[in-house]
Amino acid sequence: MSSFNLNVNGAVHAVDLDDNTPLLWALRDTLGLVGTKYGCGIGECGACTVLLDGEAVKSCGLSLKKVGSAKVTTIEGLARGGKLTAVQQAWCKLDVPQCGYCQGGQILCATALLAAKPRPTDADIDSAMSGNFCRCASYTRIRQAIHAAAGQPTAAS
Amino acid sequence: MSVPSPSVAPVLDRRGFIKIGALAGGGLLVGTYFRFGAASALAETAPAAVASFAPNAFISIAANGTVTLIAPNSEMGQGAKTALPMIIAEELDVPWDKVTISQGDLNPAYGRQAAVGSGSTPGNYGPLRQAGATARAMLVEAAAQTWGVPAAECTTENGAVLHRASGRHLGYGELAAKAATLPVPADVALKDPNDFKLLGTRVPGVDNEKIVTGQALFGIDQTLPGMVYAAYVKCPVFGGKVASANVDEVKKLPGVRDAFVLDGINGLTPGVAVVAGSTWLAFTAAQKLKIQWDQGPGVSQGSEAMAKQAEAFGQADPGAAVPAGATAIEAAYHYPFLAHATLEPQNCTALFKNGVMEMWCPTQVPSAGQRSVTQGLGLAARDVVVHVTRLGGGFGRRGSNEFSLEVAAIAKRLEGTPVKLTWMREHDFAHDNYRSNGWHFFRAGLDSAGKVVALHDSFVKMQGGPGDMTGGGFPFNAVPGSQVQSNKLSGTIPTGYWRAPGDNGNTWATQSFVDELAHAAGRDPIDFTLGLLAAVPGAGAPGGPAGARGGRGGGGFVPAKMEAVLKLAAEKAGWGKKLPRGQGQGFAITHTNNAYVAVVADVTVSQQGVLRIQKLTAVVDAGLIVNLSSAEAQVQGAMLDGISAAWFQKITIEAGAAAQVNYDDYPLLRIDNAPPAVEVNFVKSIAPPTGLGEPGLPPAAPAICNAIFAATGKRIRTLPIADQDLKWA
Ligand code: FES
Ligand code: FES
Repeated sequence: MSSFNLNVNGAVHAVDLDDNTPLLWALRDTLGLVGTKYGCGIGECGACTVLLDGEAVKSCGLSLKKVGSAKVTTIEGLARGGKLTAVQQAWCKLDVPQCGYCQGGQILCATALLAAKPRPTDADIDSAMSGNFCRCASYTRIRQAIHAAAGQPTAAS
Repeated sequence: MSVPSPSVAPVLDRRGFIKIGALAGGGLLVGTYFRFGAASALAETAPAAVASFAPNAFISIAANGTVTLIAPNSEMGQGAKTALPMIIAEELDVPWDKVTISQGDLNPAYGRQAAVGSGSTPGNYGPLRQAGATARAMLVEAAAQTWGVPAAECTTENGAVLHRASGRHLGYGELAAKAATLPVPADVALKDPNDFKLLGTRVPGVDNEKIVTGQALFGIDQTLPGMVYAAYVKCPVFGGKVASANVDEVKKLPGVRDAFVLDGINGLTPGVAVVAGSTWLAFTAAQKLKIQWDQGPGVSQGSEAMAKQAEAFGQADPGAAVPAGATAIEAAYHYPFLAHATLEPQNCTALFKNGVMEMWCPTQVPSAGQRSVTQGLGLAARDVVVHVTRLGGGFGRRGSNEFSLEVAAIAKRLEGTPVKLTWMREHDFAHDNYRSNGWHFFRAGLDSAGKVVALHDSFVKMQGGPGDMTGGGFPFNAVPGSQVQSNKLSGTIPTGYWRAPGDNGNTWATQSFVDELAHAAGRDPIDFTLGLLAAVPGAGAPGGPAGARGGRGGGGFVPAKMEAVLKLAAEKAGWGKKLPRGQGQGFAITHTNNAYVAVVADVTVSQQGVLRIQKLTAVVDAGLIVNLSSAEAQVQGAMLDGISAAWFQKITIEAGAAAQVNYDDYPLLRIDNAPPAVEVNFVKSIAPPTGLGEPGLPPAAPAICNAIFAATGKRIRTLPIADQDLKWA
């Protein structure tokens, strides 16, 4: 057991947990931020994606020790002051979610992509987003929504 | 408020009846109540079965004009929570932004609540239209009486009744209290579907904002004060039991509250429960369990032995003859077991307190979960309260409800403490109700003109579960004297409903074999299929041939509808282009859940054997489209789901257990393998809507495999495609 000061969505939370506890479970079970999802626990699916200092990372394999004082953004913390980001708005408008379970991770991954490449090509999207499964296979609309959030006309549907 | 109860309501015809009552706050409440005899019987005898649809829905209109609908069945991404209220809103003439949807708990008042078999929309369409129209008629009557004018002079628009002659209008909220005192009209006029304003438009999902902001919606997100977290470990060998386990040792691990063996509970697979202060602690403690299993006879099962047994069936079966003089063509096709692999693993939350088991269940069939708990734990149905959460994917997996009984058995031991059970991903793969494996041994005869004069199939699958071949469907109904035999493997591998049961594998096999026959006959494959469709007895008759069934649509198969979608798909996809080696087009058709679907695939295969799917073009006749946005998404997703499975996935059985344990050895399609272009076209129709969550799936894989053949000359007869060598020179 160790004490950690986790910087999550702009607030610092003191938690007492085992050093090896993955960030995923500290978020879900200790802080009650259940928007970050468990899918596989082995870094394959991307359901547990969060932003760590703006980079998309999989929180199921990230121990609290490694998180340190980095700024964590979860899907709950993306919209500030109740205003949805361009990515979230595009996701709603283009009706991307099917079951919705993967979509928090998809949105955070797309957010990191657009921060790095504001005008991504389809190839950029495929390479940045290929760590995130969608079991419902909403990929066609994920591509469209990323282009829409980037203010680009959508490629062929 | 009047709540109909099944104990007083007899089994009724499809028209059902309307109940009405006043809301406490002076609003109007209209409910439809109906049950389908066949559906009830099916659900009684087979809890996890694909039941026909038999829900009950309620509308309420509050004094402020808000319209609330209880969505009686689960939302798992198929869009029912949005589409069903759209139907009411259309007939009611109420603006969409005034409609609020609330997910119904399990309640006998709603009838059977099963989200299976693509049944939500077709099952609710008529009754919900009638519910909306009845409410509208009563609001009109209330306004007419208030103004002292004939009802016929009043019209409705945007949630208000208008009397144009006098320029008066009253909002529905203002009329609700009065309308609630009026008798329910026996017969109300429904709108002409040609006048629909809302249905057929694109309406985004009602929960989208909650999803994109990460709010707790799913079963796995349920959190109760003082809750503990559980894992449950079962024998990897199907049918195995716990002989002994080091529970006393595990109980001492930090953060662990309890560990115990569960056995002897009716319907429960025996196992070891671990209860801890977090999911992570429960998982890590579960991994420290040392369990001696009594594996039982199931340990002798394996995929290789099953293949031998299937071969033996294929060879022992003399098969029906091919007429003398015809060229015989034989081919064997095989598809493997599949897991559902819903991204949200199975889970359930329960609290047992004062004799009542209160549960939060991500289930497609809440009544089946409740029944397993009442039967397993000896509780009365009224003491098992089931709240239905959003589902992180269903695909048929959550029609069976083992997780409900597991968590209830744990919660009963921990009386007063809420428990959330989460299956580790590894357990989810190990304890699925898999899509059955299957083998087809086809034998056909072509005459010298390339006409199919014989078409026989000897089919083999794991015993139990759905997905059998019954014969009589297309293309067998196009060839007189066709014989379809069905054989079962002995074994205890649990199989169940997987999106488009039966058709998900059998359509791949039959549509691939028809493509083989077309090539053997030297014909264009689409022309060849159109010729077969024209040979179905009764083809050309407007209502279709009597008694001919295709797929598991259950309704009459109308060859003309199939022909229309196929011709349109060929046109949209630019079928018949001359393509260089390494590029190919293929197509396939299905009649599933009464929908007609044709898919054309464009693929490239590099000389090194790398497959890329360039484009999918689908044409779908699913009757009237309720929500164009979710309808399109369902067809896109179903096609890619079919491709994901056919390209990459298999569950193999080794020593009685599933060999694949997580997504690293059971990969899903990722975005970089998703086709850059996916086009979905719907045939414009005002016929009642068919199912739509499943029909896009069956034709996708055979379309891809037929396109691979066109590109490379390689015929895929065993799935998954990834196991095959596609190199060409
Ligand atoms: S749960 Fe972390 S990648 Fe799947
Ligand atoms: S929307 Fe269901 S997993 Fe992506």
